[in-house]
Amino acid sequence: MIKKHALRVAVAGVCAAVLALSGCGASNNTANGSDGQSAGVKGGTLNILLSSTEMDLDPAKSQGLPITSNGNIFRRLTAWKVTKGGETKVVPDLATTTGEPSDDGKTWTYTLKDGIKFDDGTPITSKDIKYGLERSFADSLTGGLSYHKTLLEGAQDYHGPFDGQELDSIETPDDKTIIFHLNAPFGDWPWVASLAAFTPVPVGKGPASGYGKTPVASGPYKVESNEAGKQAVYVRNKYWDKKTDPVRTAGPDKIVFKMSQDTSVAAQSIMQGTGEGKNSFLSGFVPPAQLAQAQANPNYKKLLVTSGDGALEYLAINTKRVTDLKVRQAIEYAVDKKAYQTTAGGEIAGNFATTLITPGIAGREKYDLYKASSSGDVDKAKALLKEAGQTSLKLKLIATSDQAEKASSIQTSLKRAGITVDIQTLNDDVFSDAETNNEGDYDLVIGGWQPDFPSPYANISPLFDSSQIGNGNYNLARYANADVDALIKKATETIDQDEAGKIWAETDKKIMADAPVVPLIYSKNTFIHGSNVTNFVIGDFPAYPDYNQVTLASAN
Amino acid sequence: MTDVTSRANPRTRGTAGKAAGGAGAADKARSPYLRSSIIVGGAIVVFFVLLAVFAGPLSAITGNDPYAEHPEALGAASVPTGFGGGISASHWFGVTPLRGVDLFSIVAYGTRISLGIGLFSSVISLVIGVTLGLIAGYFPGLADALISRTMDVFFGFPFLIFAIALSVVVPQSFPRPLLLTLVLGFFGWPGIARLVRGQTLTLSKRNFAVASRVMGASPAHVLWHQILPNLLPLLIVNVTLSIPGRIGAEAGLSFLGVGMNPPTPSWGRSISDAVQWALVDPMYLLFPGGALFLLTFGFNLLGDGLSDAIDPRKGVRA
Amino acid sequence: MKILAYIGKRVASSLLVILLITLALFLIFFLLPTNPAQLSCGKPCTPEQLSRVAAFMGTDQPWYVQMGNYIAGIFVGRTFGTGGGAVVCNAPCLGYSFRLGEPVSQLIADRFPVTASIAVGAAVLWLVIGVATGVWAALKRDTIVDRTLLGLSVVGVSAPSYLIGLLMVIAFALVIQIFPSGGYVNFTDDPVDWFYHLILPWLVLAILSAAGYTRITRTQMIGELSQDYIRTARSKGVPESVIVFKHALRNAMLPVMTMFGLDLGGLLGGAVLTEKVFSMQGLGALLLDSVSNLDLQVLVGATLFAAVLVIIANLIVDICYSLLDPRVTLGRS
Repeated sequence: MIKKHALRVAVAGVCAAVLALSGCGASNNTANGSDGQSAGVKGGTLNILLSSTEMDLDPAKSQGLPITSNGNIFRRLTAWKVTKGGETKVVPDLATTTGEPSDDGKTWTYTLKDGIKFDDGTPITSKDIKYGLERSFADSLTGGLSYHKTLLEGAQDYHGPFDGQELDSIETPDDKTIIFHLNAPFGDWPWVASLAAFTPVPVGKGPASGYGKTPVASGPYKVESNEAGKQAVYVRNKYWDKKTDPVRTAGPDKIVFKMSQDTSVAAQSIMQGTGEGKNSFLSGFVPPAQLAQAQANPNYKKLLVTSGDGALEYLAINTKRVTDLKVRQAIEYAVDKKAYQTTAGGEIAGNFATTLITPGIAGREKYDLYKASSSGDVDKAKALLKEAGQTSLKLKLIATSDQAEKASSIQTSLKRAGITVDIQTLNDDVFSDAETNNEGDYDLVIGGWQPDFPSPYANISPLFDSSQIGNGNYNLARYANADVDALIKKATETIDQDEAGKIWAETDKKIMADAPVVPLIYSKNTFIHGSNVTNFVIGDFPAYPDYNQVTLASAN
Repeated sequence: MTDVTSRANPRTRGTAGKAAGGAGAADKARSPYLRSSIIVGGAIVVFFVLLAVFAGPLSAITGNDPYAEHPEALGAASVPTGFGGGISASHWFGVTPLRGVDLFSIVAYGTRISLGIGLFSSVISLVIGVTLGLIAGYFPGLADALISRTMDVFFGFPFLIFAIALSVVVPQSFPRPLLLTLVLGFFGWPGIARLVRGQTLTLSKRNFAVASRVMGASPAHVLWHQILPNLLPLLIVNVTLSIPGRIGAEAGLSFLGVGMNPPTPSWGRSISDAVQWALVDPMYLLFPGGALFLLTFGFNLLGDGLSDAIDPRKGVRA
Repeated sequence: MKILAYIGKRVASSLLVILLITLALFLIFFLLPTNPAQLSCGKPCTPEQLSRVAAFMGTDQPWYVQMGNYIAGIFVGRTFGTGGGAVVCNAPCLGYSFRLGEPVSQLIADRFPVTASIAVGAAVLWLVIGVATGVWAALKRDTIVDRTLLGLSVVGVSAPSYLIGLLMVIAFALVIQIFPSGGYVNFTDDPVDWFYHLILPWLVLAILSAAGYTRITRTQMIGELSQDYIRTARSKGVPESVIVFKHALRNAMLPVMTMFGLDLGGLLGGAVLTEKVFSMQGLGALLLDSVSNLDLQVLVGATLFAAVLVIIANLIVDICYSLLDPRVTLGRS
């Protein structure tokens, strides 16, 4: 989950590979593993199989989820409490609370717990957290999640701590207290404080390059070795105190990340349980072939765990080019979501989507503005096109080669309403540029979005705020509506989360009324773990297992 | 295509031939093995040519094409139902998992890509290689030096890497088959040029060439009417033996994900898609993989036989 | 002395070749319709952040400036950024990967042992197998043995290595689990495990590549065995084994070694397909990765390294050839 490419794929953002890989078919219910709740033991070696070729663990550069590969070595101010089938909550980690807002939510104050230490035994102070954050502003350490960079006051001209400058909007009046001054109120700050940049780095000990190999740990494990293309080994950090940590269970004695694994082969070895297979799990999704194989065999089937409704997969309509609302509404009705789901791998690939905020995120309200059968309503679409005076509409759909099949499905379904779709297949990196650059030379593009934290903000704002068009950002519909921008701002600045939720739900509907995207499915991810792996928990959010809880059933 | 350059890259095909010079006198007529290899190899090649030409009508017999989806042929988890990956009267080779596309159509249309790229890139290499080879061999001095140094550049160039890089750079609106043809053609000429240059050096010193020159024939006349005809058999063999490398290169690039783009049918891409299904649906891997092997096998057999036919002394060329 | 002048000339032209390759790679990547800084911009990305990253990486410069900086870096090293946050890449700096946070020369040094293990082991195997079968076929010319070996060699040169490799992985690693499916173990960590992981890739590469060597050895041996000096030796009663191995094979090996040198040189620069099939992180995998991540400096650095190996192999082969074979004059291109 560390490689940037893999990050785009596995954790965040709009990404072809998410779509390609998530197309599967598995059992229906959430977390159907037979062993979800068993206690597990202390000890043994757990293997995590990755397809990526290297693990850069530098917290400043990480886009990883707090609960995956770096969750076990890094603690932050707050953490995610993931429960099976339940809502994921933000809880205090190094701090005593999830943050005390003041000044209407523009200032956030944290106090650190007692007894928190680095892996060399030195106590963690508020200055270490500040230093860690400051590092993320260095020009050589870019590439991580940067929500804090746009929020902290005066951060625009800050270039990191390496020449002695400090970021004044982070105050550390004493070793236990840290205060953040934001340029606007921000209700989701407790979630932001759980991201990797809030990992403490001992002051002066995190160089501008090369820190990502074996960084200083604060969690229950430390990095013993990290060799690109081969493996990274986590061993116990004896200075970690379980009493201070509400989320990490630290079961195995050792966690080995095996890199550059072929996912098909790795899934196969886990199923067969040979050698280390039974003590391993695959960090990526189960490839369709192995999924089919596993489902046909009851012994293998129990090793599968399918998430609930996860990332939203949608068809973005470039509103700068398809300007007629009637045409966009026609597309809403013309798309055959059923056929799309089949191509994605059947019912288990995900349920039909109608809203923008995904299930499992507080504040979501279910609604459907474009009611039709799951195969769409071709007559209605034709009627709308007629009203719009469109007789021979031609649209350009860009796709990666991995998306080819899904793109073909969209092409076929729009054809029914008389819309011709030209598919242009692009190489992965050219594609990610094409969809996020300033030109936006496309009419349609298939996107997928897994928010970086479970808040409607992370769900709506990156995709529909007008400031997120082009420049490498993901407003793929290039949707700009001043009313919606204002609503997003209002919701963001609302500190009371219930009240904010209501505004978000209103925003959701307001956007869909303009039909900038067609919600297709909420994709489900299916994972596979060895027979001796237990506590393999996937909560309502994110659609990934919580590495902090995984243990072995018996010490190997 | 293998990782070993002498075959990964068609350009070095001719090099081995050059190195293999100096064989002794003939002591035996061409062997029956090599005669039969012309027949078998030729038959295989003709079979695939027919398959490529009639890919459309043949697929249409069962009402198929390489793009249409047949979800009805798929069972649970989107795997083909029935024997051998869904082999039936309407799908001779079965269908692909996930979308249910007719595999026979994919293989048949894929032949067009493989053969087309193999043949047309050979023509490009041949034109460049022969022209430059003749010039270098006939005009020692500056022309020869320039061309020979250029050949060195091409021989030192990591072809596979370059082809991969190029596939990223060239806009996707540029047709991939044409791009691969050009790339393979442009990188395949130095082997031919080297061969032609060497032969021209020798031939231009022979009596007949010297005689024409003395009688006032222009260099173009000598090259075109006296030297080139003598080179033809050698070139035919060289080209025949270079085609498998070119077909393999296209398939290899497509296998690596930088060759043909979907939905254009390509054997290499089908192979790479089929790999993960190998244990669930082995036929998906078998048909395109088998076709790729058989076609390169056919060309190699044919090349061996032809090589023996023009120069029985050498027998099999390496 | 003549040989020294020849080597000097070849080295000079090799440098020119390397320069041209660098130029071609920079031109190609400058034409790419993407912004390499975008991958390092972070999420969400602001325009200010994007230009800051581009300036730091130097990708905001025109291509010829970038190329000049790159070439200069090889001789004097490079520094990205200024002050305490600067990233230094010491000479010879083949570039710096911002994605991996390491100098390219370090990456190459890390990956080369993997590729070298695959290449050298396979090369030794295919040479032994190829020459042995080639000699055997030549001695049994036009018998069933010869025909079988010839037939097998056509199969060998026709089979795509990745397809055979994949089938071997499926058969030996998944169905009957006697070999690992891929990966690489350092020789220094565990020599036995290193060997165990390399058996399949060696076999696949060696058996298929040996086919070409079988054919060339057979042709050469048949040629040599029909030479006058062999007949003379035979008539003088020299033992057949001495004739075959001491005289004929020795002369027949010259072109075989030419091919061997070029093949090995090319393979050392990156066994792209083999590394992909067996999930090994050698130079080939590094190159493929750099292409899919638009990591220009890695791509250029690793490509140059591969080109240099090919050029050196060519040079060695040519020099050996001219030293050993009196018929060839120096200056053969």
